[in-house]
Amino acid sequence: MTQLADSVVRMIDEFAKLPGIGRKSAERLAYHLLRIHKSEALALADAIRNVRENVHYCQTCFNLAESEQCGICLDPQRDPTQLCIVEQPRDLMALEQAGVFRGRYHVLLGRIAPLDGVGPEQLTIGQLVDRVAQGAIREIIMATNPTVEGDGTALFISNLLAEYPVTITRLARGITTGSILEHTNKEILADALVSRQKYA
Amino acid sequence: MASEKSLAIVLRVVEFSETSCVVTLFSRDFGKIGVLAKGARRPKSPFEAALDLLAVCRIVFLRKSSDGLDLLTEAKLERRFRSASRDLGRLYCGYYLLELLRELTHQGDPHPDLFDLADHSLAAIDHGADLAPIVLWFEFAALRILGHAPRLDDCAECGGALPDLERIAFGQVAGGTLCQRCREGQRQIISVSREALCVLRKFNETSLEHGPPGLPDAVRGESRGLMQHYIAHLLGHRPRMHSYVATAAIRTAIRTGAVQVPGETSARGGGNSRPSSTP
Ligand SMILES: [Zn+2]
Ligand SMILES: [Zn+2]
Repeated sequence: MTQLADSVVRMIDEFAKLPGIGRKSAERLAYHLLRIHKSEALALADAIRNVRENVHYCQTCFNLAESEQCGICLDPQRDPTQLCIVEQPRDLMALEQAGVFRGRYHVLLGRIAPLDGVGPEQLTIGQLVDRVAQGAIREIIMATNPTVEGDGTALFISNLLAEYPVTITRLARGITTGSILEHTNKEILADALVSRQKYA
Repeated sequence: MASEKSLAIVLRVVEFSETSCVVTLFSRDFGKIGVLAKGARRPKSPFEAALDLLAVCRIVFLRKSSDGLDLLTEAKLERRFRSASRDLGRLYCGYYLLELLRELTHQGDPHPDLFDLADHSLAAIDHGADLAPIVLWFEFAALRILGHAPRLDDCAECGGALPDLERIAFGQVAGGTLCQRCREGQRQIISVSREALCVLRKFNETSLEHGPPGLPDAVRGESRGLMQHYIAHLLGHRPRMHSYVATAAIRTAIRTGAVQVPGETSARGGGNSRPSSTP
């Protein structure tokens, strides 16, 4: 077998680190990029560079944004009294596609998972409390994943916010427990938002 | 490939790809196993809600002949851990049992009695049992099943009688109480009161059929401290859930002001402390 150039090996290594990409797929992707036109391959490199250099977390809600604040935080039409709490930007996108919610969001950037060493201080919970303390928010909707860790995170936050004059609700359980929000049918998500319930 | 069936407790779920998970299970008949659950993250998953932490489920899996992951083909939810949305203390004690099962057992080493103990203890934790005795009972029984029971009736080194003193030495390295002569030169000694030792002996001897013996408030902190030191010594590191459990399991004792846990000053996650820093 011929020795591959170091730079090709490096590219294969990088692809193989991506989720769902095994060694074989990584090699296939690498050969594909070597075969296509140089400008096409560089367009991918540019897109990656552009995203990583220009997209960051919204300073207010931690959604993905290309300026200091995301489109939702900048939109004056969005109700500033309702705040929906999600684990990841991809959950926010799933809820937006359901098209029912007109308030704003707070993205935790994870969930409390003590067994994996993730405590509340690794998430954006401190910033959430600061937002609530400012006083405009009247209702908080917990939309963490309906898993043991997602429920535990929502419970921790609702305990933390108990001293503030906000109503805390959570998504109705039309969503299959133990499943992942991101992959939930958008009709079910819309139903769940409409029929949200007061936090016990 | 042989198809196997068992009851199992979900110890860990790790995303493997867009749609699949690698799940660590503690099964009744095969011990700790790692299985690949294809399609587990799809909306119409064949496993539905079964693959969530602390769930007890009925599984069917295909054994791989090589050392690859076994393949999960079926998982039916038997019991879900419901305290996650009600009581953080219970949730964190449940997590702690998972951590002990993960860390104290070896892959593919079956212990049906340990499974039954864990199953029973998790149900009790979820359904309102007093946390401190049930957690301590689980710890003692699990250590006994796995051959790590501490020796508490005589000297763990020489078998001689224990001194007639108010406080007795517990040697972590020796794995039990020590006589005056044997404690000389021993390191990692914990001093335990006679009162606490009496209670700990009952926990050490209790059979699996009986529930946990009584645990007076006055010795809760001391028992927890001793057990946590001993387990940390056995594992070679401090379990992640120890600080949480110390808070949850001795809450009643904290209320009565009778408690002080050695080395447990920074317990967090009880529910009302605001996180100090964020990324
Ligand atoms: Zn924003
Ligand atoms: Zn001795």
